[in-house]
Order: sequence, then structure tokens, then C-alpha cells
Amino acid sequence: MKALEVYKLLPKTNCKECGFPTCLAFAMKLAAGGAGPERCPYLDEETKALLGGATRPPVRAATVGVGARSFTVGEEIVMFRHEKTFYHRPGIMVCADDTSPLEEVRRNAEEVRDLVVHRVGQDLTLDGIALRCESGDPDRFAAASMVVGECGDLPRLLITADPGAHAAALKVCGQFLPLIHAATAENHEEMAGLAKRYGCPLVVRAETPEELADLAARCTAAGVRAILLDPAPRTVGDFVARASHLREHAVKRASPDLGYPLYLDTTTLGTDAALAAGILRYAGVIAVPPLPRPSLLAALTLRQNIYTDPQKPIQVTPGIYPVNNPGRDAPVLLSVNFSLTYFTLLGYLEAGKIPCYLFVVDTAGLSVLTAVAGGKLDEDLVKKSIESTGLAGTVDHRTLIIPGYAAPLSGRIEDATGWNVRVGPRDAAEIAEFLEKGE
Amino acid sequence: MTERITEVAVGATRTEGGTRTRSYRVGGASALPGMGDAGARPLIALEICDDPALWPVVVLEEVGDLAGDLSGWAKAAEERWGADLVRLVLTSTRRRGFDDPASSGKAVGEVLAATGLPLIVEGSIDPALDTGVFRRCGEAGEGERLLLGTAEAERYRSVAAAALAYGHAVLAQTPIDINLAKQLNILLRETGVPHDRIVIDPYTGALGYGFEYSYSVMERVRTAALAGDADLAMPVISAAQDSLTVREVREAPEGERVETAVQWEFYAAFSAAVAGAGIVCVRHPGTVGMLREAIADLWGGEGWR
Amino acid sequence: MPVVTFLPGYRKARVPQGATVLEAAQKAGLVMNVVCGGQGKCGKCIVRIENGETNFDREKFGVLFAAAELDAGVCLACQTRVFSDARIDVPAQTLVQEQKILVDAQPLDIPVHPSVRKYALALSPPTLDDPSSDLARLLDGVEHAGGPAATKVYAPLEMLRKIPVVLRHGRWRCTATVALVPGGYRLINVEEGGTAARLYGAAVDLGTTTVVAYLWDLAGGRVLSTASNYNRQISCGEDILSRVNYAKKNGTAHLQELAAVSVNTALTAAADAAGIDLEDIYEVMVAGNTVMTHLLLGIDPAYMIAEPYVPVVRRTLSTTAQRLGLSVAPTAGVFTFPAVSNFIGGDIIADILTSGMADQDEVSLLIDIGTNFEAVLGGRDWMLACAGAAGPALEGGEVLFGMRANPGAIERVRVDEATLEPAFETINRVPPVGICGSGLIDLLAGLIRACVIDRTGQINTGIDHPRIRMGRHFPEYVVAREDESGAGKDIVITGHDIRNLIMSKAAVLAACITLMDAAGISHGDLATVFFSGAFGNYIDKENAVTIGLIPEVPLDRVRNLGNGAVTGANQALVSRERRKALDRIARTITYIELNADPGFMDRYTQSCFLPHTDLSLFPTVQRVLEECRLRRGAQWQG
Ligand code: SF4
Ligand code: FES
Repeated sequence: MKALEVYKLLPKTNCKECGFPTCLAFAMKLAAGGAGPERCPYLDEETKALLGGATRPPVRAATVGVGARSFTVGEEIVMFRHEKTFYHRPGIMVCADDTSPLEEVRRNAEEVRDLVVHRVGQDLTLDGIALRCESGDPDRFAAASMVVGECGDLPRLLITADPGAHAAALKVCGQFLPLIHAATAENHEEMAGLAKRYGCPLVVRAETPEELADLAARCTAAGVRAILLDPAPRTVGDFVARASHLREHAVKRASPDLGYPLYLDTTTLGTDAALAAGILRYAGVIAVPPLPRPSLLAALTLRQNIYTDPQKPIQVTPGIYPVNNPGRDAPVLLSVNFSLTYFTLLGYLEAGKIPCYLFVVDTAGLSVLTAVAGGKLDEDLVKKSIESTGLAGTVDHRTLIIPGYAAPLSGRIEDATGWNVRVGPRDAAEIAEFLEKGE
Repeated sequence: MTERITEVAVGATRTEGGTRTRSYRVGGASALPGMGDAGARPLIALEICDDPALWPVVVLEEVGDLAGDLSGWAKAAEERWGADLVRLVLTSTRRRGFDDPASSGKAVGEVLAATGLPLIVEGSIDPALDTGVFRRCGEAGEGERLLLGTAEAERYRSVAAAALAYGHAVLAQTPIDINLAKQLNILLRETGVPHDRIVIDPYTGALGYGFEYSYSVMERVRTAALAGDADLAMPVISAAQDSLTVREVREAPEGERVETAVQWEFYAAFSAAVAGAGIVCVRHPGTVGMLREAIADLWGGEGWR
Repeated sequence: MPVVTFLPGYRKARVPQGATVLEAAQKAGLVMNVVCGGQGKCGKCIVRIENGETNFDREKFGVLFAAAELDAGVCLACQTRVFSDARIDVPAQTLVQEQKILVDAQPLDIPVHPSVRKYALALSPPTLDDPSSDLARLLDGVEHAGGPAATKVYAPLEMLRKIPVVLRHGRWRCTATVALVPGGYRLINVEEGGTAARLYGAAVDLGTTTVVAYLWDLAGGRVLSTASNYNRQISCGEDILSRVNYAKKNGTAHLQELAAVSVNTALTAAADAAGIDLEDIYEVMVAGNTVMTHLLLGIDPAYMIAEPYVPVVRRTLSTTAQRLGLSVAPTAGVFTFPAVSNFIGGDIIADILTSGMADQDEVSLLIDIGTNFEAVLGGRDWMLACAGAAGPALEGGEVLFGMRANPGAIERVRVDEATLEPAFETINRVPPVGICGSGLIDLLAGLIRACVIDRTGQINTGIDHPRIRMGRHFPEYVVAREDESGAGKDIVITGHDIRNLIMSKAAVLAACITLMDAAGISHGDLATVFFSGAFGNYIDKENAVTIGLIPEVPLDRVRNLGNGAVTGANQALVSRERRKALDRIARTITYIELNADPGFMDRYTQSCFLPHTDLSLFPTVQRVLEECRLRRGAQWQG
């Protein structure tokens, strides 16, 4: 709903009790999904319901595991991340097989647990272990799931069509709320019973949306609290098409029984393509075989990229960054903490092999152009940053090179800081040439 | 309202007035992949260059002697690695003091002679060289329906003039912004370049280095076009050209470097295909086959529509 | 290169050796009187050199000054060259020009119904049979004369002290002045005899740079005179921010005093012109921006310029002249307009009042453009407002030959589409020395129609024409050749200038579109677009739409409010009903913080195009430009 449509439903008295200065301000917040209708005490139940239904996320949530490493998926509201953002990144769970020696299962689980990739201030990790029952032996399956549990509170995914095996495994690890895969037309009653008993999230698997909706409805009716949908793809293309179909129906609120996060097992689909596709197109939980490091690195990076809030881009920490081992007379380049600007500039400087300092100031993640236009980058900020970083103690000279788009500030920066200011190019690609010629 | 992406002809066979052994019509989709009729599968271009000094080491190690042999490199792209297109990057023009536009024309001619694949040419990036370089390239490829680039908002007239004079299409590059992409298309149109002779290059940042912006801009460009914005309805090309020089690849352990390079290109290129790109470009030969298979899988999917 | 520092604002400019002080001043962004265009003839550009090595021909220009002045360093800015760092004092009268102040208020079409009235009374003296009190007698008299009920009028102590004497001394003939104030009626004066005809009021626009006052005969309901002058606070800093900083360092007392002096100066001039006594002014209505209002009231504005930008007061305030140091009747009420946020102040509320948009069912858009701009969208039920920085380009700043609307400024330009030759008019019809905001807008529109620039403002240097050439750094178009110019050189507009202008106009347009998007309305829904302020008054509406400064609406829906602030103050002064509307307007407004709006940057980029990236928002402009382009044909390609 648009703000004015919401506004028409409000009392229009501007009484401020909702905490907003006017009814219209509140209406805008409601329309943007930033507040709930209950904050206005003067709405009747019907209006509240009307407004509430339109603001609740169309994809319901599901939490897998307990403790620090548990994760939640779902609660998504859009088809495309640029429309708002994708909220909960998919959990990537690495497959293990209960026929493997238990020692190996343990080692795999420990590796998954300990893998950390540091990228731009974030720790990227894997999310859990997907234990597949290949042995056909419930006790073996239970024993393997115990071993996984001994490696810390890594969330678990239990994969087998046999409710008996699940029953055995859940008996030893049900309290850790593993994800159960999968309820099908054949076994859903027993699976739902188990999921309900232990309060675990449950995947339902079927080939058509009608069957999926039917299964989801039955399991919910049976008391299962959290559900994921597995559309049983045979190829990457199947998954992308089916996942898109499901998300579209969910977002349009066309069929509430399809408003659940999705499940994808990449094992038989060609891992890298399927993993990338799952990250891009709506998977909530992705089961993958053990991956070589290059694949892992790329997949975790893609997931970090896609699940970055487009309106709150990743920011670089402000400060002084030496590039190519600069000396005390190396040039100082002012830049902003918009990650794209920083990376682009860094790339060109490294490629150009020019020793210098990148002096990154805090523009709240805005680009130079935006920061100048919005008044976030000004002489005061530069002055404060020079002082707080001790820039004067890092170099022997007093010359600052500012980005071309900040040219209007040059005089004011000189006045405020006492440093000489040179205006650099607008395009980072020209920086190397500028520095070489500039001496 | 669902519209169709404008089809752009790339490459010309004998019957079409050129000498290529195949030609393509890029575009034609009326939906994103997995969301309806996504048109023909995206084409894969392998990038080669005329001056390897500025080329990623990990590629040079792979191609060996071919790096100095434009014909051989182009031929291998077609025959050994199975690319759909060759993208010739005229890196020689980026050297300080470059003053030999004729050599650019010659390089184009050489590649055209070596392969039957249609050709994308990326010329100079210096306004002072543009006129000469683009004219020579355009001339050398006359009739072959090259994809000639790169036009930017501050320098589009030379490329446009060469494309119009010799019958090529134009690569229109803007820095990761749907509005700037649209603006450049309008500028080109007003210079006389018709819609079906433009391919949008929204600039693709490397995975982990701004790729999220590029991905969303591609999706936005596609969804805007499909919702009826004719000034954005041209095919999209994606080339994450910095993929092979990122820290992850440079600093990968010896034994993992090639694999990391390929994955870094693959994840970005495949994601671009999912976002609706009509042409994806890579530099490492090892990425081509992997990408081809994944794209075939992606296109072969059965949805429920 | 020498650095020239200008006092009192401490503006600096770096200029080549031998540059004139005038050039340095212009570079520093100061606007000086240059009536003769810098030829040393008008004697308006007076400055005083405090220190530094300068050269001024005392022989030649000495006649203009007294010897003592010359000794003190007084000289003409246009005829003085600097050879070293220098400090130069710029007197206020040199800095800004009289005719620049926009005095014109819109004529009022509302009934005059002032809040303050005088009642001439002939009371019967008290007797033993009629021993009611002096006050009751007076107030009964007021009631009988058609005034408010005696029980409703409050009489303050100072009146009670006065009443017995005045009544008796005047032999029970007196005039009572009663004002309607927020708490009810108030007796604010008693005079001997019949003075009912001498009831005056003043409406004041207290701007950051200038003060404009209208003097009203409230009994007769007509304007007697107007006057204007500079805000004396300029000596504490030129712009709002520096005033606030000054207040932070030195407290508000001095600024409050200067504000009062500035208002007094204007009132005195107006009273002199009308031949009335200041003491007969019984009400002053002040519309000012939020900071000016705070400073006049002596309230510290410091907390307002930091997040979350809340003003101390957000409704109409009233106090007495005495407490503020205004030299009108001491008990006269002084009313200040309410403010909504740090940027949407009383001046904007006054604009809204003037426009009448708050009384309409249809939606209108109001824009006030300067270095900062404010925009308001809405009607009777709701209003959205925002503010932002447009940058100085639209006022001629950051443009090579840009200048304010002073004599010699090119204010109108047409570019012939066939010959690409310009035709221009300058202010006061003197040879051109620069281009002011309205001229720049004309120029931009003319150049795009003539296809000299593309939609991003890039000059097509492929065109072979003597006026189109590559300048030192940027391509440029020659507006006035050296022989046509009064500046002694070619007057050009560069690609860089055009870019700055486009960025400025884009900020304004993007803000308008942000408001429209927030409300979910389109340009077709706009009943009227109001321009307020000096800038809006002079620009060509059609060209403003052509370049996409404002959304496209039929030109007859674009209206200038002139000085909306003073018109609004006039309305609130003479009409109780209008005054009552103020607080309702202030309450109805929802302020949108553009920096916090995630879509703003997108809209800004879209607006950095002529007229806008989405051409369907400008259908008429698009048609016209398309025709122009076809007429030009393929002539310039390549
Ligand atoms: S509480 Fe309700 S009536 Fe009061 S301002 Fe908020 S929305 Fe309006
Ligand atoms: S004397 Fe006229 S401007 Fe200096």
C-alpha cells in the first residue's frame, strides 16, 4: 500500500501518540514496513488487520539448531534484492554419510565448524552438517548424529525417507532442533509427528506446487511449527524455475501454503552452479557435498555479496591504509569508506605499483559524489579524521590529494586543516597516471 | 505489461555480408531465467588481448606461447576451449604514448582471419585516441557486425560514428547504475545509433569487490526493460574483468590458484547469466567449459508454468 | 599566489599576482556592487585595505574620497590590484545591492481584520451613584464601542498604573488599544484623546541577509510604506551555519541585539517614509527562517543544527516589543511564525500561507530556491516538506562567469537554433560582465534546444562554429565575445559550469520527485507549482521546465509568489483568520529527511539529465527537444 492510501485509513488528527509527528509520517513508516499498526491506539480491529496483513513478511521463518550457531531463514518480502533487501542468508550445510567411519564424520564436522573466511570485517562460515542415512540402519544413523553433536553446537540436517531412522536419531539429538528431511506423500504423517514431538523444522518434498502446498498444510495442521519446501529439482534449471515460482506466489500472497523458505540439495545437480543458483534464487537451506576450498571461498563470497543490504552497503573501517609499502614522503589520497570506492581505488593503486597512503574517512558508506552532495563529506570531517588518525605523524609532508568529485571542497579543506590540497581525478582509473605525472 | 528484449545481431556469415561461420541474435527474452521465456541461452566470450603485458598472470601461465600469437589464441578459443565469441581487448592502446591506430585495425583483421567466431572489440579508453582507433577497428571489421566498445557517457561519439559507418553494434558501458545506463542509451540513440545496435555493459565488479551492485543493476535493467522501458531493452553483457587480479586469486596457494581463478570467474559469470545477461565474458580458458555446462543446465530447467 | 582574506566574513580567495580586489572578491564568492561593471566610474565597490601590498591609483580616483579615508586604506575594489597576501574589509553597502532585495509582496485579496484594535471612548466620569472602577469603566466603554466583552479583557499591571492618570488628565476622553493574543484579549495601551486613526502594524521578513518591512495602517487597512536593509548579523558570519557557530562561541546576546537593530532600522526607515511615529506601531509580525527566529527571540539554536535537528519552538510565539528591544510601542505584541524543522522555518510557513495551498483540496508544490532549497507538497489535509543543498550554481556560484543578479549580469539569453548565435539582455542594460541564475537557466535551455549540448550537458565540440571551442580545461561556448563584453574578455560557459548547474537543478528536481513519490502522486496531479523567493521571481518558467528544474506542468500552473515571506507576514498581520491558520499549517507538515531517504540518490542521478532520465515525465519538453533535434538533423554527428 502507498503511504497516502494508508493515511486515508488513519484518524488524521496528528495527535502524536504513535510517536510520529503526524499521521502521515506514521503512514509512511507503515507503508515502508518499518512499524506495526498497533502503535496507533485509535484504529479499529478491522483496520489494524488490513494494515497488519499487508506488512507481515510473506515467507515465514524457520530456525535450525540451537545455541550460537543456530540460524534462521525465511522472512523474505521481495523477489529482487534491489526492491528492499534479502534478509536471511541461506544456511550452507555440508553433507556427511553415516556409512563413513565415525572418525571421518567427526573430522568433517570439525572442519565445517572451524572454517572461517575473513572478508571486509565479516567472518564467513558454513552453517552445519547434513547427515545422510545411507546405511539403512537407524542405530548407525543415530550414532553418527551423536558424533556430529560432539563437535559443538553445529546445526544438523537429518536426511532420510525412513521415519524409523529419524526417530532413532531424534532420540539422541532432537533437543538440538535439527532440520528433518523430508516429509513426502508417503510418510508425512509419521514425519510430522516426529517434528511436532521434538519441535523441529521439517522439509516437505514434492514435485508440484499443489502437492507441496498440500503437504505443508497437512504438516502445519499436525502441529509442525516450521516448514521448508523442497521442490525436488532434477537440474539447476528446475530449481531456479521452481524456486522463482514459489517465491513469486509467496510474495504476491497468492497461496499462503507456499509461503515457506526453500530447501536445495546440490549433490546431484552439479555443485557449483547449483550452489550459486541457490544463493541467488531463494534457497533457505542448501545441502552441499564437501567442497574444495576455491569453491567454498567463491560461494561464501557470493552469499555475502547477495545478502548485503543494498541500502546499507558494506563499509570499510576508516583509517590510514598503506599501499605498496609507502615511505614518509609518499602521497596521501583521501577517500571515503564506501567499499566499492575503496576496492576500486585500491585495485588501481596496487596495479600501478605506486607507494601511497589511502586515507579513508567515515562517510557512513556513501560514495564521494553522494557524500559531497549530501553534506556528509566536508572540511570538518577531514579535519577531525586527520586529528584522530594522527595523519600528520605518519607522513612528513602536508599535502592531501582529494577525489575529483570533492573539488568544490578544496578551499575549505585547506582552510580548515592547514594542509595543501590537490584535486585528483574523478575516475579512479586515472589515479596512477595522475600520481606519476604529479611530482 | 511484458516486453521482449531487443535482438541485436552479432557477427555476419557470408549470406549476411560477412565472413563468420556463425552469427547470433542476442536478446529476445521476455523474462528472466527461471521466470518464463528467457530467450536463447547466453553466449560465452573468451577474452584475448594484443599486448599481454597488462593481462592476468594466471591466464598467461595457462595459455603459454599463445599469449604472443593473436591468431593462435583466437583459434584456440574457438577450437580448443569452445567459446561462442572472441573478445579482443586492445591493451596495446593503453600503453603510454601509443600512437599507432593502424596496428589496432591490423589486430582486428588478424583475429577475424584466424577464427570464424563473431568478434567483440574493446578499443582505446583515451578520448584522444578514440577517433583513430575506432575508425581503424570499424574499418577492419566492415560487414562483420562487430560489437564495438566501449562507449561511455563522456566519450561515445567516436565509437558511435565508427559503428554507424561500418555497420557494427556498440557496447555502452556505464559505472554500475541503471540510470546512467539508460542515459547513455538515450545519448546514443540521439546520435543516430538504433536500439538494435546497442548492448548494455553495466560494468561488472569482481566477486567480493562490488559484484552485488552489478548483480542488482543487471536485474534492475532487465526487470525495467521487461516492464516496458524501451531505453533499457537492449541485451546486457557482463565481464567481471578484474576477477583474476583480486587478492583471493593472487594470494591463493600455488596448487589452488588456477581453481580459484576459474571459480572466481565462474561464480560471477554464472550469476550474471541468472540475472539475465545475454553475453558473459571470461578470461581463463578453464572457465569456458564449466560455464557452458552450467548454462545449459540452467536453460534446460522445467518449471511449473 | 597571494591569498586575499575578506572581512567580516573571513572568506578567502587565492588569486594571481596583480589580480584586482574585485576579482578576488568574486572568486571568494562575495557579491559586490559593480554598477559600472568595474570601470572605476560608479564608485560603488568601496573596500578598505587592512594590510597587504596593494596598488590603487590615488591620483586618478582620489576625488571620490576624503584624504583621511584614503589614508585609512579606502579604495575601489575594481581598481586595486593585490601583490601579496592581504586582509580587506568590505563594508555592508558594498557587499549587497539595494535592488536585489525582493520587496514586492503579492497584493492581498483577503478581508482586513486585524488582531489589534483601537477604541476611541468618551466615558462618563464616576459619580457617587456610579462608582464603578476606572478599569471597569474603561472596559465597559470598549465593549459598548463594539469591542470584546469587558470580562474577557485582561489588563496588565502597567496599564492599571496608567489608567487613572490618563482618564482624568484626558477628561475621560481616551483611546484604548486591545489586542487579541493567544490567551485572549489584552489591553495594551490607553491614551488621552482620540488617537484611533493612529494604529499601525508592521510585517517583517527577517532573512539571513536582508530584512524587509511593510508598514500598515491597520485602521484603514492599507500599506503605508516599505523599507529594507541588511541583516546586521552579517558581521558575525554570512550564512546560517556561521551564525549558529558564532552563537555557540559567544552566546546569543549579541546576535539577538543585532537582529533587533536590523528590524528597527527597517521599521524606522518605513516609519520615516510614512511620516508616522514608531510608538504608534502596535503589532509586529515576523516571518524568518528557523535560525533567524530563534536568534531574534534570543534562543540558542545550537541544538538544531545537529541530528536530529529539532527546533526549540514549533508554533507561533508572542512576546512584547520591549522584551526584544524593538523600538515600537513597548507593549506591542511581536509574533513569530512557527517552524517545522531546522530548514522548514517561518519563512516557508509564510510562503505556504501566501500561496493558499493549505486551503485547497488539490495538491500543489511550493519551491523556494537559493543555495539551499525547500520544497513543500500537499493541500488541505496533508503536507510533506523537505530541504536540501542545491549548491551555489543556480545563483551564479561555482560557475566561471556566474554572478548574482547585479548590474551587468546577463539575465536573459536566447540561442538561435539555426545560427547558434546568442542574443542576451543584461541588468541595467550595461555591457555584460557575467551571467546570473536566470541567464544560466536560459542558456542551458537554449543550448540543449540548439543541440550544442547533449542531455548530460556535454558540449559537442564536433560542431564547427566560432562560439564553440575547447577552452583551457573544458569545452566552452562563448556567450559574449570580448568586443561584446564589459569584462574585458570573452564571457563563456564551460562544460564544467554546465555540469555544476545540472547537479544543482537535479537536487531540486529530485527533492520534488521524492515528495511526489512519497505521496504517490504524479506531475499531472499538481494543481499549481509555486516559486517563492528572489530566484523564482526572475527565471523563465518555460526554460525552468525545459531543463527539468521543476516537474513538467502546464506553464499556466506555475506561479511566482514574489517575496512570499513578507506577503505571508502581511496576511497574518492584518487578518486574524490567517494568523490562526499558521499553527494548523505547521502541524500538518510532515518533514522528510532527504539524506535518510534511500531512494533520493537514485532520483538525483535520474535528474542529472536534461530534463530527466525518464523522458515520459516531461512529455511536452521531450516533444519539443525531439523536434529541435530533427531540425538540426545529422549535421553535428561525428
Ligand atoms: S496515534 Fe494515530 S491518530 Fe495519533 S498521530 Fe499517530 S496515527 Fe495519527
Ligand atoms: S567603481 Fe564601479 S565597480 Fe568599481
